[in-house]
Amino acid sequence: MSNFEPTIACFLCNWCTYAAADHAGSNRKTYHSGIRIIRTPCSGRVEPDMVMKAFREGADGVLVCGCHPGDCHYVEGNYKTERRMRLLGRMLEQFGIEPERFRLEWVSAAEADRFIELVNEMTEAVRKVGPMELTSEAVLASEKGGAK
Amino acid sequence: MGPKTGVYICECSGNISEKVNVAELLKRFAEKGDNVVLGSHALLCSEAGKAFLDEEIKKHGIERLVVGACSPRQHEQTFRDVMENAGLNPSLVQLANIRELCAWSTEDGQEATVKATALVNAALARVAFHVPLEKKEIDVNPDVLVVGAGVAGMTAALSLAQKGRKVYLVESTPWIGGAVVKYEDVFPNLECAPCMLEPIMDQILHNDQIQLLTNSAVEEVKGFFGNFDIKINKKARYVEPQNCFGCEACYEACPVSVPNAYNYELSQRKAIYTSAAGLLPNVPAIDTANCVRFKGESCAACQESCGFGAVNYDEKDELIECTVGGIVLATGFELFDCSKLPQYGYKDNYNVVSTIELERIISSNGPTGGEVIIGGKKPASAALIHCVGSRNSETCNYCSGICCLSSLKLSHLLRKNVEGISISHFHSDLCLPGKNEWEFYNKIVLEGTQFNRVGSIENLKVEKGKDGLMITDGENTHGPFDMVALSPAVVPCKDSKTLSELFSVDLDAHGFLSEAHNRIGPSATNTKGVFLAGCVQGPKDIQGSVVQSLAAAGGILSALVPGEKLELEVATAMIDGEKCAGCRICNSLCPYKAISYSAEEKVSIINEVLCHGCGTCVAACPAGVITHKQFTKQQLLAEMMGAL
Repeated sequence: MSNFEPTIACFLCNWCTYAAADHAGSNRKTYHSGIRIIRTPCSGRVEPDMVMKAFREGADGVLVCGCHPGDCHYVEGNYKTERRMRLLGRMLEQFGIEPERFRLEWVSAAEADRFIELVNEMTEAVRKVGPMELTSEAVLASEKGGAK
Repeated sequence: MGPKTGVYICECSGNISEKVNVAELLKRFAEKGDNVVLGSHALLCSEAGKAFLDEEIKKHGIERLVVGACSPRQHEQTFRDVMENAGLNPSLVQLANIRELCAWSTEDGQEATVKATALVNAALARVAFHVPLEKKEIDVNPDVLVVGAGVAGMTAALSLAQKGRKVYLVESTPWIGGAVVKYEDVFPNLECAPCMLEPIMDQILHNDQIQLLTNSAVEEVKGFFGNFDIKINKKARYVEPQNCFGCEACYEACPVSVPNAYNYELSQRKAIYTSAAGLLPNVPAIDTANCVRFKGESCAACQESCGFGAVNYDEKDELIECTVGGIVLATGFELFDCSKLPQYGYKDNYNVVSTIELERIISSNGPTGGEVIIGGKKPASAALIHCVGSRNSETCNYCSGICCLSSLKLSHLLRKNVEGISISHFHSDLCLPGKNEWEFYNKIVLEGTQFNRVGSIENLKVEKGKDGLMITDGENTHGPFDMVALSPAVVPCKDSKTLSELFSVDLDAHGFLSEAHNRIGPSATNTKGVFLAGCVQGPKDIQGSVVQSLAAAGGILSALVPGEKLELEVATAMIDGEKCAGCRICNSLCPYKAISYSAEEKVSIINEVLCHGCGTCVAACPAGVITHKQFTKQQLLAEMMGAL
């Protein structure tokens, strides 16, 4: 288990958290290499079934990040994300996907260090729960969700 | 076989190549076949790098491009320009951020190479789904609507008119000048307010570019940034400005006398009237609610008294329609109603006034001609209570920022007006920001004014004692005072809710119209093309209002240029009208009100001028028929799958 290197798909909003990840790099602060960042205009652009598909495609964890409440570049996109992702999180648990594997966090462009802490912490948590193995039950359920 | 795609890796002068093994990375893509062209360069963003890419595109007939380099936040535009210069659509390039997200943030070289390969693979998978996006432009109307002719609206109108823009300046009352002309002097330099405004008002009245519409209200707003269609109701004044000379003969003739709201009912006026002497334009108006002729009587006293035939009872309201590209809302503020806090005895005691009433009492064109008479005599002592209604979660949960200074100014003016008056201020804090304001406070202290700091303004009580008004603060009693002036909070103008609906501008938690961003977008709103100026957006002093007005004018002048078209955002969302079921879930989600429902076609429609491209409607559409042109579902999924 200790050799297991988790891969984490991260959907980051362009204006806050993607900028924080850029700054982390510019500051030459290193973090776990299993972090895979996908840039979105707003966290509100992330569709719940994209998260499900990420698990299906082999991600061991999925992280969705946006601007802090009240700071959204698009006024209130992150509030919509909050509602969608909280609901999704509860559903994922019922599918047998451990809560450690899915997180919604607000990281501003100024919080490069927090971004690193967050991804390192999440990597360790996912490492503890082990590689993603979708049960047939979960696969069937996510197939159904994905076919909308 | 798909389109020929170039994959080029930038070494970033070693920044990338010292960590990522570029040769090994490219080797992974060698098996992709003939339609993938590979290459690398020491520095692709340099002139030599861009020329290299241009040559490669032409040599190999490359149709799409993946650049493994730095953050798209730094150089996406650079490579879009390379594409455009090479005759390709700029949307057909995708950057893989292998510098910030990989080379600089990964410890181990081998791991960095694996990660960079995954990121380039993700970009390659994504770019296959890119579609050429065309820039769109629309014709715009450079004219501007300014609502409110106070200091903010007038400043914006003049600034716009100076650049030759046609400005429709709409004012709800029959006269211009707003709140500032009510003041005798302004802080901190004690300049005469009407004198300060005089040249501005004169220019407003005589500028050919400005169509001043007094006694008017905007009734309908349709359209969007660049092309708003406006309907304005210009109410009849019943006095023709071209014939009226402002001689005031009609006032004397009028048999009606009613309290003058402009002077807070401290004086009377006639039914044909000007609220105060010196207001511009110097033409009276008939108040039809009080005029006996408009109530059905046969009176024609004012018309008969007018030597110039200026009074016209047959004048009708006029509907004015215009098209403008931009809008400035500058409708000002109101003051907190002091009678809502009964502990101060406002309205119960004639000697308790609000500071704005005191402004009018002190003003030379006010109810007493500038003589301070309170309760029938000159006061020998006065108390000023700060923060009435302010900084209180039940009433106004903010500091208005101008009341302390206005109270200090009134202190000075009282002292100038009433010889030997003793003045005490009651405050819990003092708000004196700015480069001249602290000095101003010290000047007032030196004049002999007392400052009493109390724990809580709300716990103060004003009561009638046998020798005058007594103020109690817990155990301490102060007084007696001949008068008490209450300094109320600045509150939203009474029309703010109507304006919010009419112009699609949000209200903030306090009821003021909300700016786009409270730090970097303080004048724009979330409705493109609608700007805010002055206290309609929140409490501020004259300087702050003028600055915001100039910002609004500047925003419009730079965005709407006569003869130039307006380039629209390329990365917007669009609805497939064939598949939309018309459920309207997306309509209310859009923070920019860009989505509307067409009852005729039974589908929702996105206005590309208003769409900012956030994509929240795309994620919400239950039928999946809304597409974000630069972040389609296919593109994002392909990128994610390529990265894993």
